[in-house]
Amino acid sequence: MNTTNLMLCAVSAAALDICALILILAAYVERKTSTKKWRRSTGGMELAEQNAVYPLDCDEILIGRHASADIRLPDISVSRYHAMLTISDGLWVITDIGSKSGVFVNGNLVQRAILRENDVIKVGTRRLVFRKRRDKRDR
Amino acid sequence: MKSIKRCQFVISLFIVVFILGMAALVVKIQREASFYMMNSGNHELGMVYDRNGDVLFDGSLEDSDRKYEDNYFIDVGNLIGDNKGQMTNTLVAKNIEKLNNYSFSQGLVLEGGKAAIYTTLDHKANRKVYDAFGGNDGCAVAYNYKTGEILICTSLPSLDVTKGYDNIADFRTGTLISKAMYGTVPGSTQKVSTVISALEIMGADRLFSKRFTCEGKYTNKSGDVIDCHDAYGHGTLDIQQAVEKSCNPFFAQLIEDDELPLSRLKEVYKRLGYAINGSESEYIDINGIQCEKASTTLNDPYEFKTQWGCIGQGDTLVSPVQLMMWQSAIANGTGKMTMPYLIDKVTNVHGRVTETAETSYSKALFSEDTADTMRQILLTNGANNYSYLINGYTIGVKSGTAQVDDGKKENSLLVGFVDDKALPIAFCILLEDRNSTSLKTENIAQVMLDALSE
Amino acid sequence: MTDNPISYFFSCLFVLAAHIAMLANVFINGNYDSITSVIVLSCAVLILDIAYFVFMLFFRQSSYTINFLLILVLNMSVIFQSCFGGVYFSVKHYITAIAALAACHAGYLLCRDYRWLQQHRTFVYIGIGILFIAILTLTGSRSMWISIGSFSLQPSEFIKPLFVLACATSVFEQQKKHRILCFNVVYENLAPLALIILICLLQWWCSDLGSLPTFAAIYISGFLLRICYPKAKFSKKTFILACVILLAAALAAMKFAPAYVQDRLHTDIWNNTDGSGYQQSQALIGIASGGWFGKGPGKGFLCNVFAHENDIVFATICEEWGLLYSLMMICVILIMIAVPLINPPRSYYHGTMAAGVCAAFTVQMALNIFGSCNMIPFTGVTIPFISAGGSSMMVSGFMIGMLNASLTPTIIHRKQRRQPA
Repeated sequence: MNTTNLMLCAVSAAALDICALILILAAYVERKTSTKKWRRSTGGMELAEQNAVYPLDCDEILIGRHASADIRLPDISVSRYHAMLTISDGLWVITDIGSKSGVFVNGNLVQRAILRENDVIKVGTRRLVFRKRRDKRDR
Repeated sequence: MKSIKRCQFVISLFIVVFILGMAALVVKIQREASFYMMNSGNHELGMVYDRNGDVLFDGSLEDSDRKYEDNYFIDVGNLIGDNKGQMTNTLVAKNIEKLNNYSFSQGLVLEGGKAAIYTTLDHKANRKVYDAFGGNDGCAVAYNYKTGEILICTSLPSLDVTKGYDNIADFRTGTLISKAMYGTVPGSTQKVSTVISALEIMGADRLFSKRFTCEGKYTNKSGDVIDCHDAYGHGTLDIQQAVEKSCNPFFAQLIEDDELPLSRLKEVYKRLGYAINGSESEYIDINGIQCEKASTTLNDPYEFKTQWGCIGQGDTLVSPVQLMMWQSAIANGTGKMTMPYLIDKVTNVHGRVTETAETSYSKALFSEDTADTMRQILLTNGANNYSYLINGYTIGVKSGTAQVDDGKKENSLLVGFVDDKALPIAFCILLEDRNSTSLKTENIAQVMLDALSE
Repeated sequence: MTDNPISYFFSCLFVLAAHIAMLANVFINGNYDSITSVIVLSCAVLILDIAYFVFMLFFRQSSYTINFLLILVLNMSVIFQSCFGGVYFSVKHYITAIAALAACHAGYLLCRDYRWLQQHRTFVYIGIGILFIAILTLTGSRSMWISIGSFSLQPSEFIKPLFVLACATSVFEQQKKHRILCFNVVYENLAPLALIILICLLQWWCSDLGSLPTFAAIYISGFLLRICYPKAKFSKKTFILACVILLAAALAAMKFAPAYVQDRLHTDIWNNTDGSGYQQSQALIGIASGGWFGKGPGKGFLCNVFAHENDIVFATICEEWGLLYSLMMICVILIMIAVPLINPPRSYYHGTMAAGVCAAFTVQMALNIFGSCNMIPFTGVTIPFISAGGSSMMVSGFMIGMLNASLTPTIIHRKQRRQPA
């Protein structure tokens, strides 16, 4: 194995390296666009509490007191698995999944309800506002 | 979202575990690649050098090459060996991996690879000792008892490894082994072990107060006869005289003595490294070369076989290297043997030193007092009986004559040490069939010590 | 059309560049009799590249990364397989590579809408059942292979993607519990357990335990993604208990394993270089003689060893292309299954599916590579996409399609049919 051949090996290895790198970069670029696409098709909503904002980044969102819940409300009045947000046909739906204290949308006890912008959801004693995503420049 | 994060966590878990495994694999391949190559039948071997840089083995040598003069390697031929597979208990066969001119990053290095073993042997001195045997069979081994470097280890008959094995059927028995590593009947050199045991058990004062009479032969308590080499007898002896005269009846009576119980004797023998009554014997490892230790039979202090064993005939077998190592324990004055080694350092294909030898000692075989007394006995023997045979050195020695082939042949042995800080040598010389030649082991010792002190 | 034309263009360019560099290496370092074979190989690879780039434009996906990585790996694999012991164009592998691409798209189209999949889950179970029956009846003498003429098929491979689907679950499903006697159970959790037990029994019956770890890994990934919902009756205690039982079972299996397995577990390959340790010892010698940069395409000797193109393919590639390049090849496959870490799936079902695919791929690669290098017992498992073999390539392609689907899900336009109780 002489130097030219060694160089060639290094070049082909480098080409593969660069290619892998470019593809990783492409994946990052695609993440941006697919996030945008996701927001567009789901209405770009979020749940807001007094001090906290919960983005809705996947299609099944579990609300509850348990550590594995996506939106964790550490409050004794909230059941461990309280309610679930799902998206269907571009509409967000809240479903009660066997909570003790029920789910209230705009003050009405519901088992299952389609959410509209600025609906107020009451889970136990916690109040969450379903609203349009506030654009943050720093994000 | 938490649920999605959880999935990602599981994915990364699998990937991380796999990557760790791959890292382990790369490390393993890096470390063991040389070993793999040795198994491939496709390798380039490096050199073995002696302590002065003389070549002892050249791995790049082709069968047809005549780069070295005839019999250039013959003095250490059966110790260094080669890679042909005919000799398995040799330095090259046991350390062939270290000679591999291969590195993972460079592959096989066909020319200019620097993988080499630098041994502690002295080729010139070996050559002189080899020549001193003058065609007689036997072996000589000597090492520095302060450091453990084996300086001389030659065994006859030997072979020139560069000439191949085409006429292997014509080789004489023992050509393909280094006799220093294999058990031989020690003869009276065994008495050193017996005296050490007696000193350990009785103490010096009691042993020196013992007197036994030799009348040329001795009928022991079970009715068998132990002959003395002096048919007229040595008269009444103490231990010093008995060692000097190498008197068999004295030692037979010593074994029968009540103050030397056999169970204690066995204990000391075991500590010295004997495999007693057929128990599994161990090996001394000298850079991978297996060197036999010692074995003997000890049943009953009144029995002929046991007494004969303690005198150094019959069933007893000791390797010359082991005899030499006991001398180191005596010469050191500590009762600890200096462990011998052949490889001083090893270099890899780039010439970088990958391992260097270190001096190590065995655990104590006997007490320092015993070592001192024994040392004195041997030095006195040397001064009284050998100063005119081996000129110019203060030595402690014990000779021996071993009967082999049912007494048809006699081998001559000489073990000893030089009591000199500048020349700390312990040695063992074995000359086979001593009656066929006028050569004496003392002559070989003289040549050897002269060569080493140059 | 694509949303990111610039990144698409550059991806195409660099994939082509990587292949051209490889082909240049073959051209200069390679061992070939006539230049024609190199030209044919180059043309085939580059044409497939470009054709696939154009073909992909007809599919509107939000992420193409996996497709690019797939074509990169597949054509690399074609080049590798074409160089073993001298450059020639391996038509068979080329066709299986195209089949893998087709399978990838099939997997993608089939799995993008997970609700549809969930509604038709029965078909998954039926599919596994059919494959079971096929193995039990069609394969001769308790083996895993069905031979149809000169073409042989390994139906157990096809169970893998179906099993991944069976192990995938959505959060919603985990909340639907049923009561049997006094136990709260989730049917979706019992099904994979029953399936893995059945698969174990089947593999035991077939005396082929090689692919069992793959199924076990898929199941473990599915299991790990369920235990976080205690309503499904998988608490930490149960988890620890399950681990202990699993460990005990593994130890017992080790002890009472049939003779041929025991043999594999306790082989000292270096004392047995002509017998059962032959492949592994040759593989290790091959890696050692290849070094970091390899001997050059087509110049290895491992091509004379049985199963050099699948079971010990890692060593064969190491010998010819060097350890460095082989590691990078493995790295590309790892990046492929790590894409969901960069671009997260949008639903839990797709997430669990991606985890299952990842588990299957890593375990298969580990079994093959570490097995051929004597770190674990040697099994005849393939490296996805790199090893030759039709069923393995197609199944791997299908599974990558599933992974791809999880990145570009159909945003649901159908109303949920299930009415609240």
